[in-house]
Amino acid sequence: MYQFHYQQGAAGRLDAFPHILEIYAKKNTAIQLQSFPQQVASGLCIYYIQEGKFEWFVNGKHYFLFPGDTVLVLPGDTIGNDKGILELGCIWCLQLNIPQLKQGELQPGAWSGLSATECAAVGKLLHLKSTAVLSRMSEAGRILSCLFYEIHHLELAYVTRVNQLIDELIVAVTRQLTRQCLPARDFSSIFMKLEDALRKDLSHQWTVEEMAAIAGMGTTLFTEKVKGFTGFTPINYLINIRISEATRLLKRREVSITDIALDTGFYSSQHFSTTFKKLTGYTPGEFRKNNTYTE
Amino acid sequence: MKCIITIELGTNAVRIFAFDLNGAVIGSMKGFYPTFYSQTDYSEQDPEQIFITMLYVLKNLMNEIIHARKYTVASICFSSSMHSLLVVDKNGVPLGNAFTWADNRAKKEAREINASPLADTMYASTGTPLHPMSPLLKIAWLRHNDPQKFQQAGKFLSVKSYVIYQLTGAYLIDYSLACATGMMDIHTADWAADALQYAGISREQLPQLVSVFAGAGNLKKAYQNSLGLTDDTRILVGSSDGCMATLGAGIWNSDKATITIEDSSAVRIAGNHILQDEKKRVFNYLLTDNCFISGGPSNSGSGIFEWFVKQFGDSTGAYDMDTCLNTLLEEATKVPPGSEGLLFLPYLLGERAPIWNPDARGSFFGIHIKHEKQHFIRATIEGILYEIYSIGRLLMEHRDIKGLSVNGSFATIPFCSQMIADMYNVPVYVTKHSNSVSVGAFLLAATEMGIFRTLDEAAAQVEPDKTYLPQEQHHQTYMKYYDIFERLSYKLSDEFARIAELQANRTP
Repeated sequence: MYQFHYQQGAAGRLDAFPHILEIYAKKNTAIQLQSFPQQVASGLCIYYIQEGKFEWFVNGKHYFLFPGDTVLVLPGDTIGNDKGILELGCIWCLQLNIPQLKQGELQPGAWSGLSATECAAVGKLLHLKSTAVLSRMSEAGRILSCLFYEIHHLELAYVTRVNQLIDELIVAVTRQLTRQCLPARDFSSIFMKLEDALRKDLSHQWTVEEMAAIAGMGTTLFTEKVKGFTGFTPINYLINIRISEATRLLKRREVSITDIALDTGFYSSQHFSTTFKKLTGYTPGEFRKNNTYTE
Repeated sequence: MKCIITIELGTNAVRIFAFDLNGAVIGSMKGFYPTFYSQTDYSEQDPEQIFITMLYVLKNLMNEIIHARKYTVASICFSSSMHSLLVVDKNGVPLGNAFTWADNRAKKEAREINASPLADTMYASTGTPLHPMSPLLKIAWLRHNDPQKFQQAGKFLSVKSYVIYQLTGAYLIDYSLACATGMMDIHTADWAADALQYAGISREQLPQLVSVFAGAGNLKKAYQNSLGLTDDTRILVGSSDGCMATLGAGIWNSDKATITIEDSSAVRIAGNHILQDEKKRVFNYLLTDNCFISGGPSNSGSGIFEWFVKQFGDSTGAYDMDTCLNTLLEEATKVPPGSEGLLFLPYLLGERAPIWNPDARGSFFGIHIKHEKQHFIRATIEGILYEIYSIGRLLMEHRDIKGLSVNGSFATIPFCSQMIADMYNVPVYVTKHSNSVSVGAFLLAATEMGIFRTLDEAAAQVEPDKTYLPQEQHHQTYMKYYDIFERLSYKLSDEFARIAELQANRTP
């Protein structure tokens, strides 16, 4: 296996790809001290284990890595070996300059072909990740080797191909992440995971695509499953949680009705008021008056 | 045309049915609400979400079925799962989530009271076993562990009482559900003084006790407007899911019993007096002046079999539990009754009746080199049903059981219904309507309207759809193995305690 190492700024090879911080294939034949200490990643890194057995920590969590395993590191995550050494073997790495994912948003930049909603869904899922390692994901190896080929050979339209391959890799990794984190066949556990994600970020304008992605399904199957399990469509189930939470907050005097509306994910206090009244017969103001008492 | 609506506030969903006055189902809808398990032994639900979900589903049913088909609603009758506890402040605002029946945090309180002389006198007055599920012990837990919430408490409610309070403004609880709080004197139909003293609360902190037929007052105007209802619709307090499942199964003679097997299970009988069990293993709920529902609850049920399916089922068909379950059932039929000597103790979640041992744990016993996968499948089902049979044995110490009506998703699987018939050695009936809780609530409301003179007459309307007759030879086989099953369930109690302790202390 050939080795190479391109870095942004050096040698000009990555000039057409300002979003790639570094890309390399490395065969490590000698153990050196302080060659791989635990440090904070500045970009989104995808490592792929080609040969050898590695023992790494990602965000303090201990992982054993074997050939075919893919490691996903988000900006701000720590990664490295606890003794600071890189073990013998061969690893591939792609590090992308993608801004810190706050509240899960992913903003890759103009080079990416992913739409804004797709980016939001992918970002959400990466943000919710409960593991950094995708086991035996040979697909990541295949995409990376195509990527290496394009960057080396600079054939016709290589810029487009490279960017497409990066998108493909991000999507593949995200899908695999969801698949791996879901308990197989048990929709009730899958649903509880989704429920938890919705509650943690109720003010977010959730789309069915995002919810389905968390459940690791296409939207058609997802909608059907949710309907069967809860009796509601996904969006109506979400409205249900929103109004329940709003009801709870209305009974406390501390939060203003506008804040309640926005905190629970309504577009505006008007939207909140209409939805609330349609269901309960009360406007939020009337409901609060009937349910709180002056001391 | 008039109709009756029944609302069941169940363990994980609200189920709403509309019936015409002849008892035919016009339509039904359900709405799921989640249970939160924030710590070991905690099991909570959000009271606002339960209320909003109920309102949402009811509104959809009204719009899509009742108004669309020009029905008027004569009455709305409630039922709910038992043993929930919701603390509200003096303004009726919930102080945190409701505890569900499955909340076990009052384990220590239960152990202590059961070791004290109070246990005998309280069982004699309330007729219900002292278990962490009981709101009585949950309140005691709060007093010891969350004194601030305990001090702020205006009222200690059931989830159903809270929902009714939201709709009409009245704090009410019916006798049958109140029995399940462990705080009602079943002989006087009043709050039991010794229970209140033990809990450290006053009777003013509890909802008003009323009959299952009682009206809950008028629906608040805002809800009348949003639902399209008027003062003419009677809101009935109704009963508990357990009592309604018994009524809806049509079992009203004292020599028949009903078996419900869902996630968890119960065997129940109806009669005109309570069962005073020396070992305090049987519950008794007061339904009407001359009718009591008695029986035993079990943690053994479809939840246990689903665990097995998840671990050992064929995982190729994604997300499809039913197919997987059916494939396993098919394999189980290839093994003769008794699983050629393989026994399963289904105590994966501890057990209530009849052994009342929260530390009990599951086990396969008698594994032989010849046993194959299908033996384990069949043994698992047999183990779950031996456990249900053991509750029947307990009830048979007090009454004869000459017939059984079964309901619930697991008990009505034909393979299981037949197995129950063979174990009990009596005919097993399955009723036409799969949701017997709703049928029970309909019969209650129809009786209140005067359509039936008594609940006995109402229950007689329920006709069996299918009958499974016992097979003597299989019965003999099952009884030989049941004997060992029963011995094991008691004999292992020291080991259960030790393994449960180790499991509780394990590091994550």
